[in-house]
Amino acid sequence: MNSLKSHFALILALISILISIFLFRIFNNILHQYQQNILHNYSIVIVSEKKISNINIKEIAKIEPINISTQLNAMKSKFKNINLSSVKMPYFYKLKLKTLPSPNKLNEIEGVLKSFPYIKRVLTYRSSQTKIYNLLMLLKTTTSLFMAIIAVLGFLLILKQLEVWKLEHNERMYIMELFGAPFWFRGAALFKIAFIDSLMALFVTFICLIYIQNSLLYKTILQDLNITLNINLLNEFGILATVSVCISIFSSIVVVSGRKI
Amino acid sequence: MALIDAKNLYIGYENEAVIKNANFKINPKDFVFLTGISGSGKTTIIKSIYGEVPVIKGSLNVGGIELNKIKKSKLSYLRKYLGVVFQDYKLIPEWTILKNVMLPMLISGIDKQTAENEAIKLLSRVKLSHKLDRYPKELSGGEQQRAAIARAIIHEPVMILADEPISGLDEYSANLVMELFIMANREKDITVMIASHSIPHTFNINYRQIHLEKGHLYELS
Repeated sequence: MNSLKSHFALILALISILISIFLFRIFNNILHQYQQNILHNYSIVIVSEKKISNINIKEIAKIEPINISTQLNAMKSKFKNINLSSVKMPYFYKLKLKTLPSPNKLNEIEGVLKSFPYIKRVLTYRSSQTKIYNLLMLLKTTTSLFMAIIAVLGFLLILKQLEVWKLEHNERMYIMELFGAPFWFRGAALFKIAFIDSLMALFVTFICLIYIQNSLLYKTILQDLNITLNINLLNEFGILATVSVCISIFSSIVVVSGRKI
Repeated sequence: MALIDAKNLYIGYENEAVIKNANFKINPKDFVFLTGISGSGKTTIIKSIYGEVPVIKGSLNVGGIELNKIKKSKLSYLRKYLGVVFQDYKLIPEWTILKNVMLPMLISGIDKQTAENEAIKLLSRVKLSHKLDRYPKELSGGEQQRAAIARAIIHEPVMILADEPISGLDEYSANLVMELFIMANREKDITVMIASHSIPHTFNINYRQIHLEKGHLYELS
């Protein structure tokens, strides 16, 4: 019964760490996709006195001229007494950015753009952009913090388990030491337990993840947000397996090397 | 060349010497009794030879290895060539007697089947062949001590160190245990060092006696 409890303590701790890592990755992925969607629809508009083909600002991905002929025709029909063809019209451009900028970054970009003498106006739509950006950052920070807390709790559980293991395996390892057993021999039983526990934790976690990924609620939310999540399950499995085995083997190494010869 | 060579040796715990200025040599194939009253330092000497009690001052050379400068890896190497019998047996409680006896051979990298065959032979010799699959707590003190001796000699060590191996045993078990030490010494040329209050009366072998009193050593015979 005690042995079973000791297994559960490690498995539970590992599951909490693995799930927090996976959810952290998923949330990051979702937020990144969402940011990309917003970025796709967002651009800075500039009004320039001369034609521009390139602006030397590293945050800018591309410059697209805005076709104003429709607006111009509307104006022509409205202001028939003004000869618009004699008026020199400025050039309008949409600037696409590489990443969704923070409010500070946006200020910086605006400042640089305004420093060019031929750029007469810069429209950043700062208010709505800042709101969205702050909301995303809030979500990101909150989920990161939450996952970190779960991971820390998992680690604390593992530390507690290490103490239990030390007591459970101390006598056997001490006797083995007295007969000159090398490190790997003394820890063999512990390494085996740790490895099996890590595989069990990985298995349970993976079942949970597949369930979450296929759940209707999850799919509906992503559909509503217009997000297609690109998750390679095999890749995720590899990452979680590495983390799980590394943590459990590292824990058992700590226990075995904690004994003094 | 002496198997153990101690010169001006001080050993003890936390820099407090239990053994002071000891000088002695143990040669290969010697059968040595380390005698003295309780607290005279017999166990300390045994423990220092397998590296559990540190050398404070002087020199203790075991099989060509200087113990006051020894590294962990070298200590493990040295211990593989020693067979230690403890007063409290130190059998692994969650292992069967058979597996306990196999331990030194498994540590030496000998395959499981060979180790098992050797352990069965030896357990038969110490009259425990009917208790191979029992756990230590299911055996009497005498039986556990016999199993511990089987474990100490299975890998044919260069030297057996036994700390009070017959104290608390009945006469039958004590005789059987002593016969095992004699057998190891005579048949396998293993050096034997036994820490004991006294030398058994029925003992019939050439031996040396080193007596300990107030932390000092005296060769008596």
